Amino acid sequence: MVSSLEKNDVGLDLKANYLARQARLASAVFTQYTQEKVDAIVKAMTIAAIEASPLLAQKAYQETKMGVVEDKILKNLVACEFLYNQVKDKKTVGEINVLVDENIVEIAEPVGVILALTPVTNPTSTVIFKSLACAKTRNSIIFSPHLMAADSSNLTAKIMYEAALSAGAPKGFIAWIEKSPRLRRQTELLMVHPDVDLIFATGGTQMVKAAHSSGKPALGVGAGNTPVYLHKSADIKASVNDIIISKTFDNGTECPSEQTLVIDEEVSDLVISEFKHLGCHVCSDSEIEKLGNIVVDGRNKTMNYKLVGQDAAFIAKQAGFDVAENTKILLCELKGNIQKHKLIVEKLMPVLGFVRVDTLENGINRCLDVNYAGGTGHTSGIFAKDENVIKLFTNSINAGRIIVNSPTSIGGLGGLYNNLNTTLSFGCGTGGGNITTDNVGIKNLLNIKRLPHRKNFSVIFKTTKQIYSNPGSLSYLKELNLKNPFIICSQNAVKRGIVNQVLDKLPSSSIANVFSQLTGEPDWPCVESALAKIKEASCDSIIAIGGGSVLDLAKIVRLFYDHPQLKLSEIAISFLDFRHRMCEFPNDLTTKLIAIPTTSGTGSEVTPFAVLKDNNKHVKLSLIDETLLPDVAIIDANLTLNLPESITKDTAFDALTHSLEALVSTFASDYTDGLALEAMRLIIEALPKVLKDPCSIVNRHKLHNAATLAGMAIGNASVGLNHAMAHSFGAVFDIPHGLANSVFLMTTLKYNSQIPNKFMAQSNYPQWIADLKYVRAFEYLGLYPELSISVDYTNESFETRQKLILGLRQKIYDFARSCNQPLSVEELGISAHDYEKQIPSLIQTTFMDMSLRTNPGYPLMKDIYKLYQESYPRRVRP
Amino acid sequence: MKATHEQIFIIPDVLDKAISEVDSCLVKNNSKLSIDFKNCQFISVDGLEWLEEILVRADSKNINVTFCNLKPEIYKVFKIARVDVILKAIGGQTDFAPFC
Repeated sequence: MVSSLEKNDVGLDLKANYLARQARLASAVFTQYTQEKVDAIVKAMTIAAIEASPLLAQKAYQETKMGVVEDKILKNLVACEFLYNQVKDKKTVGEINVLVDENIVEIAEPVGVILALTPVTNPTSTVIFKSLACAKTRNSIIFSPHLMAADSSNLTAKIMYEAALSAGAPKGFIAWIEKSPRLRRQTELLMVHPDVDLIFATGGTQMVKAAHSSGKPALGVGAGNTPVYLHKSADIKASVNDIIISKTFDNGTECPSEQTLVIDEEVSDLVISEFKHLGCHVCSDSEIEKLGNIVVDGRNKTMNYKLVGQDAAFIAKQAGFDVAENTKILLCELKGNIQKHKLIVEKLMPVLGFVRVDTLENGINRCLDVNYAGGTGHTSGIFAKDENVIKLFTNSINAGRIIVNSPTSIGGLGGLYNNLNTTLSFGCGTGGGNITTDNVGIKNLLNIKRLPHRKNFSVIFKTTKQIYSNPGSLSYLKELNLKNPFIICSQNAVKRGIVNQVLDKLPSSSIANVFSQLTGEPDWPCVESALAKIKEASCDSIIAIGGGSVLDLAKIVRLFYDHPQLKLSEIAISFLDFRHRMCEFPNDLTTKLIAIPTTSGTGSEVTPFAVLKDNNKHVKLSLIDETLLPDVAIIDANLTLNLPESITKDTAFDALTHSLEALVSTFASDYTDGLALEAMRLIIEALPKVLKDPCSIVNRHKLHNAATLAGMAIGNASVGLNHAMAHSFGAVFDIPHGLANSVFLMTTLKYNSQIPNKFMAQSNYPQWIADLKYVRAFEYLGLYPELSISVDYTNESFETRQKLILGLRQKIYDFARSCNQPLSVEELGISAHDYEKQIPSLIQTTFMDMSLRTNPGYPLMKDIYKLYQESYPRRVRP
Repeated sequence: MKATHEQIFIIPDVLDKAISEVDSCLVKNNSKLSIDFKNCQFISVDGLEWLEEILVRADSKNINVTFCNLKPEIYKVFKIARVDVILKAIGGQTDFAPFC
């Protein structure tokens, strides 16, 4: 709505400005009030309202000639006494709620200046209700009364204001537009006034629409058309009694009141007879025709406002027929297609439509006909004892309040028949063009500020329960009492005689089945093939003997063996944070998994990870969950004695990468730091010796332990950018994982030691400390004597740290060179052309790799591009 | 040439009415007036209206009025009240159209 100032609006504009300004000053001052002060004001206003209720009801009736004085008194009392009772102990100032589990505090802030439109049907009770609600929430309110009820509305506002003022409320916090022919225009000006913060419109559809189109936030509540289903399971007499109470309340002026009854045919005669017995008139077809002509305005098919709130005898007379003077309700049977019947509309008077239905479905559908004939989102009612019927009705109907076995009008008001919030303003949701379906109350008049405390997640350290770590520990297999194990291994393990060693260590009563079809890294067909075999053998345990690929395969096979209903596509779905990820892993695996690594690198025997190759997309799928942790790990270095040099080196560099990445991970802890540092030290110490003397069991043992320690570190701290790049690169160029890791190691070490362009957003990683961690590694490895540059160790500046990190990088470079380990893509013999061609897709998969989530820096795609470029040429010493 | 005497007035804990000393000061044509809110805990609508009035009067006499030691509770009242001259006195803009 655009409201421009017209020539004859000048005076009005000044008035509007005055009202808005007073209200604004008051709203500003109100922000200083305490809860105690506010509650004292509300109490004083409530007392004033209770005392004035009879007078105000009388005034409303005299002015509007609608309704019943006695009922208006009741409504006024509900609006003050019931509301007070509901809100007196509610907090509306400052901290109002503490959500302990969510660690959030809610703080109330007033909305400011409210322009309140009030209806002709409830001119005094609405003002009482809104005044109290605004006082409780420290808002200012300007009333725009209905022209036909302006005197009684404004008198109510005045009484409420004076009571509030005497209790200490800010001057001007309640104001009202005086009755005048220009009242509507002045309301329009206020609707768009900059000092008005919210429009709270209760009343006719036009005013509510105007409020919504003003561009201001608006709580607009509007017309209803309440269908009530009277199911055959209902208590008929009590139901009829309730409906009569409700529909005659204030002569039907309450908008939640019953408009059309839908009655099960089986009980309809009984129902109608009860209505007649209690003083209602059942209209004949001709009387219904006559009523339709006067109750509904033929031009706009809405109710005739001149009959709103009139009694039944008067309405009948206007229609051209007579009924007994005390007739309570005029009942009109709607026959045929009720959607086209004149009387299907809202009738705020004691005229009640009814329709008979032969089935439950028809009953609910007819209710929907009424529901969608002008009252969507407002109110509905049902009388039934059958809970299933109530449930079906509730699911079908579109109403903010579904009143069960109670009068809908007084029931809708809240407080008397149920615990709904007491209100005179009924939110209708989007069905009625409203923002809420609430019984509008104090909650809707507050801006709730939320104070979420920073999440600090618990740090849990988890790993494989039993770890046998000495050379010769394979013999512990005997103690595990495995009856029917399924052995997963590589062909190579069979050839090397390792499987026979295992079989020898099993109890003689064990019946073992061997699956040795894995070549390279596992893919889904391989998993399926293993699953077919293990199901056939009905095994009670799985023994995985081999490198990371074999151990990963075993983890996945166990998972799907125990839970065949799982879908790989769902459990392998990527996630931003494992605590919030969408997929859920089962936690009740029964098949025991014994992991026996034969390489010293992956650490899979103690990690909750398993990687599966997707041959179609050339990507690696990561499954991550503690469920994947093996039950037992046997770290027997004897099994590594015959490892070829290339595998020994690649796997050792995989473990070295694990330790370097776990150390700087955003999930790193003191526990993982210790493991990572010691693993790093052992690898640097033992690998060169193993390469010189592959049969040195002492050094093989150190290397084997180092891999497991690094595995525990990444099992809890995860990895980072290096792994993300290696996963992507390895999948495309079919490079063994450890080797792929080593070619990016120098690149990522440098990248992660520099202040990142973007920091990683992790609540439990409040400060970027990757450089300090690398310095710690430098110190732990005792690299000071090797440092070729001059450093003032006592100075802990950033520059000093960078020099020490350079020392670490030099050490890693020298170490790799001494082992003849490739450190760049070019050193793998991949052509620059082939590599460049793949970089765009490598960037995408790297960015989406879950390993990246725990990297201390957050590389953008352009950074990843540079990192891939930097990783191509042969390395030179940093 | 005007004298550059600065008068400082300390607002009491509750500002709910005019302070005659400030009114008198405006009459005397001092060129600077500082209003100290260090003790002020509450300001009423009357208090706000009085502040607006003295600021308008001061402006018409070219007297520079500054507010100091405003507690957030009082500063917030000024922000919400959106009175042009008060917003100017606290160094703000009077164009308060919200933006996001």
